[in-house]
Amino acid sequence: MSSCCVLSPQEVRLEEELKGIEQMYGRERAFKILKEVQTYRRPIIDVERAKYFTESMKQTEGQPLVLRWAKAMKHIAENISVYIDKDNLLVGRAGCPGRYGILYPELDGDFLDLAIKELPKRVESPFNISEEDAQLVVEDIAPFWKGKTYHEALAKALPEETLKLTYDPKDPLKSRFIVNETSSFRSSLQWVHDFEKVLKIGFKGIKEGAQKQLATLDPFSPVDNMEKRPYLEAIIIECDAIILWAKRHARQAAEIAETETDPQRKQELLTIAEICEWVPENPPRNFYEAVQSQWFTQMFSRIEQKTGTIVSNGRMDQYFYPFYIKDLEEGRITEEKALELLECMWVSMSQFIDLYVSPAGGAINEGYAHWEAVTIGGQTPDGKDATNELTYLFLRSKREFPLNYPDLAARIHARSPERFLYEVAETIKEGSGFPKIINDEEVIPLALSKGANFEEAFDYAVSGCAEHRMPNRDTYTSGCAYINFAAALEMTLYNGKMKLYGDEQLSVPTGDAREFKTWDELWNAYLTHQTNFIKHAFIQQHNIIRLRALHFAFPLGSALHDLCMKNCIDLHQPVIEGGINFGYFECIGYGTVIDSLAAIKKLVFEDKKLTMNEIFEALECNFEGKEDIKEMLKNAPRYGNNDEYADTIGRDIDRAALEFTKDYSHELGVHLDLRYVPFTSHVPFGRVVSATPNGRKAWTPLADGSSASHGADVNGPTAVLLSNFNTKNYNFRERAARLLNIKLSPSTLVGEEGLRNLVSFIRTACDLRLWHLQFNVINKETLLKAQKDPEGYRNLLVRVAGYSAYFCDLSPDLQNDIISRTEHINI
Amino acid sequence: MALSLNYDKNKYGHVFNIQQFSIHDGPGIRTLVFLKGCPLQCSWCSNPESQKPQPELGYNSNKCLGTNKCIRCIEVCITGAITNGTENKITIDRAVCTNCLLCVDACPSGALNVYGNLMSIDQVLKEVEKDSIFYTRSGGGISLSGGEPLSQPDFAIGLLKEAKRRRMNTAMETCGYTDWAILNEACQYLNLIIFDIKSMDSKKHKRYTHVSNELILENFNKLCNKYPDLPKLVRTPVIPGFNDNETDIQAILDFIKDKPNVKYELLPYHRLGTPKYEYIGRDYPLGDIKIDDEKMNSLKELVEKTFAKE
Repeated sequence: MSSCCVLSPQEVRLEEELKGIEQMYGRERAFKILKEVQTYRRPIIDVERAKYFTESMKQTEGQPLVLRWAKAMKHIAENISVYIDKDNLLVGRAGCPGRYGILYPELDGDFLDLAIKELPKRVESPFNISEEDAQLVVEDIAPFWKGKTYHEALAKALPEETLKLTYDPKDPLKSRFIVNETSSFRSSLQWVHDFEKVLKIGFKGIKEGAQKQLATLDPFSPVDNMEKRPYLEAIIIECDAIILWAKRHARQAAEIAETETDPQRKQELLTIAEICEWVPENPPRNFYEAVQSQWFTQMFSRIEQKTGTIVSNGRMDQYFYPFYIKDLEEGRITEEKALELLECMWVSMSQFIDLYVSPAGGAINEGYAHWEAVTIGGQTPDGKDATNELTYLFLRSKREFPLNYPDLAARIHARSPERFLYEVAETIKEGSGFPKIINDEEVIPLALSKGANFEEAFDYAVSGCAEHRMPNRDTYTSGCAYINFAAALEMTLYNGKMKLYGDEQLSVPTGDAREFKTWDELWNAYLTHQTNFIKHAFIQQHNIIRLRALHFAFPLGSALHDLCMKNCIDLHQPVIEGGINFGYFECIGYGTVIDSLAAIKKLVFEDKKLTMNEIFEALECNFEGKEDIKEMLKNAPRYGNNDEYADTIGRDIDRAALEFTKDYSHELGVHLDLRYVPFTSHVPFGRVVSATPNGRKAWTPLADGSSASHGADVNGPTAVLLSNFNTKNYNFRERAARLLNIKLSPSTLVGEEGLRNLVSFIRTACDLRLWHLQFNVINKETLLKAQKDPEGYRNLLVRVAGYSAYFCDLSPDLQNDIISRTEHINI
Repeated sequence: MALSLNYDKNKYGHVFNIQQFSIHDGPGIRTLVFLKGCPLQCSWCSNPESQKPQPELGYNSNKCLGTNKCIRCIEVCITGAITNGTENKITIDRAVCTNCLLCVDACPSGALNVYGNLMSIDQVLKEVEKDSIFYTRSGGGISLSGGEPLSQPDFAIGLLKEAKRRRMNTAMETCGYTDWAILNEACQYLNLIIFDIKSMDSKKHKRYTHVSNELILENFNKLCNKYPDLPKLVRTPVIPGFNDNETDIQAILDFIKDKPNVKYELLPYHRLGTPKYEYIGRDYPLGDIKIDDEKMNSLKELVEKTFAKE
């Protein structure tokens, strides 16, 4: 391969996965499909979705937005290329064979041409786009959207003080990474459809419902005429669109079957044709049809709009269960056959790339990983344990076929059966990091306290990275703010300014920190900036809520939502009667801020081992030649060690944010709650923050989510959980998801006893009412990284009976010995 | 924390480490409390910092920033024991050092540290109880280790007694080299005893551990007679050239196999403790040896024949 073939992280991951799968498992069909995908070296940008969407939108200007969106979907369904993948048992994709990404010009049309124009010149770009397609984007698609995108409208609407914390005021395409909005790069925050509805009544049933409602409208009512009628018409068109799209697959499959020479594949194609003729229009008659129907719905949703991290899959082990058990009992299916179908879905998911057109570089970025979470386990709507045979099948699939897709999320609760937790633990032990764990004992009471009833709360589905949705009750789809708390810390030190942005007064002046004489002065200055940031995030949100309703519609999501159908109102509208709005704002750099404040409090104001001036000198030179100061700062109390000193500061930071939202979020009509789910944003947000008093060097990543700073948690995983617990304010309902990553050494998991301990550990996390938990099992690669970067890995423990040591304290010789043994035995 | 000789040994003791999430030394998720002092001096010891009863200065040169960047320790050293050595690392003259530990406090990176802090029973248990919610679910609790915990008999027994009173699951690792009266008392407060038997050959035992094994074996017999219901885990560190052969292991197996409530475990030799010899200014007595994996496996098979695996 020449150097032009730089692989994106996603490609590298896929290749790695392929290697592993090839060695380990003989899953012929899924493997063949993956192999086939690999023959297309680079992912392709497919422009068809953008083309037909734009074509239709050009024709419908002036009409109600939801109707325009549905018409655009119909136009796409009629014209977009339809593919029947080789070997796959499922059909339905949003773009060409191989890995592909699609464009959403309604989001980024204002700069899409710039980005695409650059592309053919960039040899290292991980994406391919044909010359005609590029020309189409530049000449036809982008020009139409200029001046019409939500992004442009938002930039114009933000008041100056808010704008300069959000974008570069001279170039709104450039994020500041201080108080970022995320609403302009996705049409919706994470979301979960009520897939069960499709399986119960089909789109035919939904359409008939809309037709009935249409017939009962008051012919004289202006609201019925101007709001409800177009809404219902949009729903009918949308149902027609997805049915049409499916039937085009049926025709195509039948056509290919005619010339197919392999009798087995010929039969498969005829079955596919029959199924696509039936679903998603009608309720499925068996498990296979149910899976295909769900897949069509999911894919059509991807075509319709860009949902943050992709629309999640909901409680698959619940809504597929009746189909599965009936087929099993009646001898139509085996476990193996069901696995084959599900794994056809997983490999299809892995081919879709969540493409982001980067505004910063005017270039195309690699697609971020997507989290179309499949929820398993948890409780039934009446509060009983919900695990069933299908739950275990999902876990088995993940163990034996450890693809990154789907993102498997296990709901646990106080009465989760032992078998479930053991199988979850066994799956984690396989080392892929799945499933992530979401805790009913934290999620459900919070949902209840914010207005859900028991039935809905028990039936929540995991959505996005760590959030939840209650289909038919949640009505909030707005993207939200990512707030850089570490930037607030920097502004505390530099009087409302940041090193990167020079002399610009970004936040309120709080005085020269060198002159601070007491901890209280420092703390109050910090709080001033933190609160100021949240204030501007809320101002952003006020604009976001108002403007999104003018720019985005979501007919498919609305068709599948009881409240939207009842009120005849699109899901993206701000107020839907009977709904609950769960929104968030994000704290980024939590551990960084706690550790920095704790270090100053202890070393400057209490022990008086350092002066503010000494700290400033060390920060100004990025600790070059000031290693001793850096070490002192790093050895101060730190978050993640169950250390009361640091954890108290963490709890105070958390509480201050909660108090703000308690006072003001009702004005937005939203539970705009505090969340610690970083995605991968702690990296770009770290890039704008200069050196911090926790010994962190300038422009390096911040602490992620509610996890400790890199390498700071040196007391093992129990302390990590307890610090998380200690810093939460359980007396506030304004809290939301906290993402927590735990590193485990494989020796922890050896044998039956290791498994038992992991189960106990998970149960304890459940008792502690922690929201989320995800494990990384340390492998050879981790240890190699630790050898190169001892500072970042000084928490890495090597444990054997009666003894343990920090890996980085060992001599290179011993380290190598451990590395060579890691793959076989425990460390 | 400076060295203090006058303290109430019933209430205070020297602890050199408290380690949470320990999962190899007793059931469930446990907290391991390492007590200073040991009557043995095993040549393979992986915790050499545990051997002396009193606190001891450790120096990890890997963590040291180097004297070209920091000389805080040299500046505070009253006796002049710390000097600039080779390759920008310090040299400690341990004959001159009075263990005042000012250097530990001055060291920014933790390269200089002290092995052994004087702690009260209450302080120790307060640390241990931080993880009590994990014990509830896992059946874990406190494990005493060392060193030899019973080399601080009053403190160790006091800890176990109070832990029991606080409804904790207790375990203790011991080399068995102690007065029967002390072991006897400790056993009253234990849910599990982890008992090391290194070799049945007394001469060899003395050569490698500095003590002979009679007292140890006698204590184990008494223990089994008096506390038949107490679960006992016998462990043997398998050391190349010392006991890595079928004869030695079989002899141990013959000694323990008919005793009540006994389980047995082999601990393969490892060198992970070697850096710590350097930290405390000592040489590693065993030099560069390795355990033979095949040999280890055949010994494991031998054990499995006698003790059917769970």
